[in-house]
Amino acid sequence: MSLNGKRILIAKPGLDGHDVGAKIIALALRDAGADVIYTGLRRSPDYIARVAVDEDVDAVGLSILSGSHKELVEETVRCLAELDAGDIHLFVGGTIPGEDHDELRNAGARGIFTAEMTIDDVVAAIEADLGT
Amino acid sequence: MSGPSRNPRRNLSRALSRIANADVTDTLAQQSVLPTENLPRIGITGAPGAGKSSLIARLAKLRKNADRKVAVLAVDPSSPVSQGSILGDRIRMDAIADDPDIFIRSIPSRRAHDGLADNTADLLNAMEGHGFGEIILETVGVGQAEYTIRTLVDTVVLILVPHSGDAIQAMKAGILEMADIYVVNKADLPGADLMAAEIEQVADHQSADGWTPPVIMTTRDDPAGFAALDDAINAHAAWRADHRDVTAARRARARYQTQGLISRRIDEILEAAGEDFLDQDPGALFDAIVSRLGR
Repeated sequence: MSLNGKRILIAKPGLDGHDVGAKIIALALRDAGADVIYTGLRRSPDYIARVAVDEDVDAVGLSILSGSHKELVEETVRCLAELDAGDIHLFVGGTIPGEDHDELRNAGARGIFTAEMTIDDVVAAIEADLGT
Repeated sequence: MSGPSRNPRRNLSRALSRIANADVTDTLAQQSVLPTENLPRIGITGAPGAGKSSLIARLAKLRKNADRKVAVLAVDPSSPVSQGSILGDRIRMDAIADDPDIFIRSIPSRRAHDGLADNTADLLNAMEGHGFGEIILETVGVGQAEYTIRTLVDTVVLILVPHSGDAIQAMKAGILEMADIYVVNKADLPGADLMAAEIEQVADHQSADGWTPPVIMTTRDDPAGFAALDDAINAHAAWRADHRDVTAARRARARYQTQGLISRRIDEILEAAGEDFLDQDPGALFDAIVSRLGR
């Protein structure tokens, strides 16, 4: 499998200022063949959705360590839908307690990645989801 | 998702993806429906780390207004190993990324080794008719970008930084003969004045066609330098309107675009034929490839 030709936006919404994980994932996706765009720190869901549209990405990966993952996922889903881009796949990674996973899935997250997973597992899950 | 979106910006960005991903046959088929070139195009080139993206952010903010939305196409290199890429130009354009009058699109270089991307000419054409007033094209900044960008844009801006050895390297390579405007960026670094003086000497010899390329110093904290660059681009556009050899420019673009398509077709043929196709001497291989060329 490969992510050749897939465009993925890695985004940091909210207030936490740690993006080592986001950058490691970005590089791993690049090595799997994807074209990866990174937003930089502290972006609003509205901004992330607009970049996703302008860059015509297949998927957005939100990296969230602040604990506000529910609000930020819901808000990003809403902003994407507002731009007629609800079909763009959404993933979320970070410090996300297991009891929140169902709620995030219901909100529209197609994959939830935590520190217990290996990078290879994360990439494989995204490959499987994007269907190549 | 299929069918046009109710969001025009989405339709444009998806059209750009279709063009960027098109193989040679599809590219040729799509060309018949593309609009003709009208928008002024500014090309920004220079070595990696020269500050192209940051400078484009400043420039786009100066040049856009209610009547002139600005589109930025930024090419980043694809990994020769995975074919993937980190499209990192956008993050350096932080200051303008939230501006609705500026559209930024990052594109991977893919197979192209000339500092641009596959189908760049078609991508530029596709920006026509979407309400933009101008296009800024950023190259990868390696290889022979300075030569190829020349054929696709109206004004070439070459960015150099002090003490990078750039000036001498650029003279050696003949790159200093290709630009319409020179920028010495990060001009607060030592050696900037000397470098600007060296480039000015070269530029003075470059005025055979009537345009002497200006040398502009820019520093992050000095708006005057960026204003001077803005003015220089306008001055070059005005000069060009009177002096441009339209026929020669059209021929150069046709040549670049067609050579690119044929080169990619050869890649496609080789990939389809498999490794053992290469087990013949160059003459036989040449004939075999030529016999397979065609739509």
